[in-house]
Amino acid sequence: MFSNHVSKQLSAYWNGELPSENTRRTAEHLIRCTRCRLAFEEIKLGAKLAQHLPLIAAPDSIWPKIETALLQQPDALPIDHPTRDARVGTPVGRASDRLPLARYLKPGLAFAAGLALLFLAGAFWLRLHRTEARPSWEVARLNGAPRINSNRIDDTGKLAVGQWLETDDTSRARIDIGKVGQVEVDPNTRVRLIATQPTEHRLELARGRMSARISAPPKLFFVNTPSAVAEDLGCAYTLEVDDAGNSLLRVTLGWVALQLKDRESLVPAGAACATRPGIGPGTPYFEDASELFRTALAKLDFEPNDTQWSKVPALDIVLHQARPRDTMTLWYLLSRVDQNDRGRVYARMVELVPPPDGVTRDGVLRLDQEMLKRWRDRIDSDSHSLPEVMRDFLGTIRSGIRRHLNQASGK
Amino acid sequence: MLEQMAVIRGQPTVNEPIDGQTIAACQQGDREALRLLFEAYRDRVYSIAVYAMGGDSSAAADVTQQVFVKLMTRIGQFRGSSEFTTWLHRLVVNCCLDERRKQRRFVPLAEFGLTKTSRRQISQATTYARRELAGQVQAAIADLKPKLRWPILLKYVEGLSYEEIAAVLGCSKGTVASRLNRGHKALAKRLGHLRGQFE
Repeated sequence: MFSNHVSKQLSAYWNGELPSENTRRTAEHLIRCTRCRLAFEEIKLGAKLAQHLPLIAAPDSIWPKIETALLQQPDALPIDHPTRDARVGTPVGRASDRLPLARYLKPGLAFAAGLALLFLAGAFWLRLHRTEARPSWEVARLNGAPRINSNRIDDTGKLAVGQWLETDDTSRARIDIGKVGQVEVDPNTRVRLIATQPTEHRLELARGRMSARISAPPKLFFVNTPSAVAEDLGCAYTLEVDDAGNSLLRVTLGWVALQLKDRESLVPAGAACATRPGIGPGTPYFEDASELFRTALAKLDFEPNDTQWSKVPALDIVLHQARPRDTMTLWYLLSRVDQNDRGRVYARMVELVPPPDGVTRDGVLRLDQEMLKRWRDRIDSDSHSLPEVMRDFLGTIRSGIRRHLNQASGK
Repeated sequence: MLEQMAVIRGQPTVNEPIDGQTIAACQQGDREALRLLFEAYRDRVYSIAVYAMGGDSSAAADVTQQVFVKLMTRIGQFRGSSEFTTWLHRLVVNCCLDERRKQRRFVPLAEFGLTKTSRRQISQATTYARRELAGQVQAAIADLKPKLRWPILLKYVEGLSYEEIAAVLGCSKGTVASRLNRGHKALAKRLGHLRGQFE
């Protein structure tokens, strides 16, 4: 599955230079291949840095030198001489060469001042109304009175790069992102458009809740929150942020990646993941997991030292409550718990979804990436191939048979 | 010298619309037309030259002058079989390489990297918010091997497509893609500590 890595195509992918079929294949590969995703992050960083090369204004002194050099060139094409232009009244060269400015200076001052005022007024007006010239997204009012940069919109409006869209407790809005998809903004929400270009569309969700339905290839649509970045991998999801900057992602279709620095959680459909400022994404979990499982997981992720919560350590509860489907969650815990607990997580995972051939206990405990990936593939294919009830039923039977065999063999 | 001129502007989006009439007028020796061409391309030619010359602004001004003088003396040879901008960029690349060769002969130590003076001058002239970042990117670009530096400059200063870059540099699109890949990685490696600014 990972034999055809796409690392050599990543710049062309980022720059939109790949044919559409290759773009699709590359995007699909990136969803599943950690190695290529890491390489892509490097390429993206390099490209974004290169975009910060400023354009530098050339000095005005170059033009006179060019004219002089051309006059001295024996092989230059016949070129009009400055004095001839002046004689026939053709305005060339610098303005000071063309007009006897002193003669017009005094009456011109008042005129110039008027022009300057007009210019300033025009510049101010343009500043207020330049939204049209900037890249923007269409916004439709769904309820109430959504505002863009504090200005109430009618039925529709435009959200330009850098602008905030805000809803109060009675208003809702929909943002159309061209062919990329749609975002619905719920009441009491504040979002800002950070970037929109062929290779990246990025929103910031400062607070409130939004639902996104994205139909573009993966890794084109991002949402920054105070505690992580949500990266679309071809999906539909809701994302909410509270006043403290904590967020909760709930995926209804496809996959979403949550990232903060080196910490990443890939969240599949049916699952959710919380994030905290300074910590980043927690461990993804399926929303139909037991309440006890979810509460213990939150303690494990964000308050591991809270010994007052329960006499039974959070990890014990998570392991005990885990169903076969929750092996996805346990897979993340392998690399997030300490060495002593990793063996316990491994043992429970083996009971629920046995690793494929070649994936060994030693390899998993030393976090061999290739083995972890193969086991993750098995877990994902198990959780996507059968209806949930059947999966849990088969998982229970599998665990029972294994327990029975262990007892029979005296282990 | 840079304090007179280094002004940060937005990235270019598309090539300036210079029509066939202007080019034809240039071929007839019309100085007004040359002035139009100069005004349309002066900042981009100069920017490329500054980065290619490792931040040496006076060398960049010389290169810009040479480019437009050569443009006027050779434009009779332009037959329109390629894009005018491709032809112009080839002229820019060649003039930069010539100037570098001259410098190598006389001032070998100035070849790579921004000099302290020019770095300071660029910093003074840039806006405060982007000064630090732009300065570090410029220095990192100057440290790239020329074969990695040129595709980056043509892509991000000039906004050329891979096909156009390939035409300017006389190589295949695949080579451009590969060199940009390596260039991006080299920049990320060198400036990895700035990652937080893009998250």
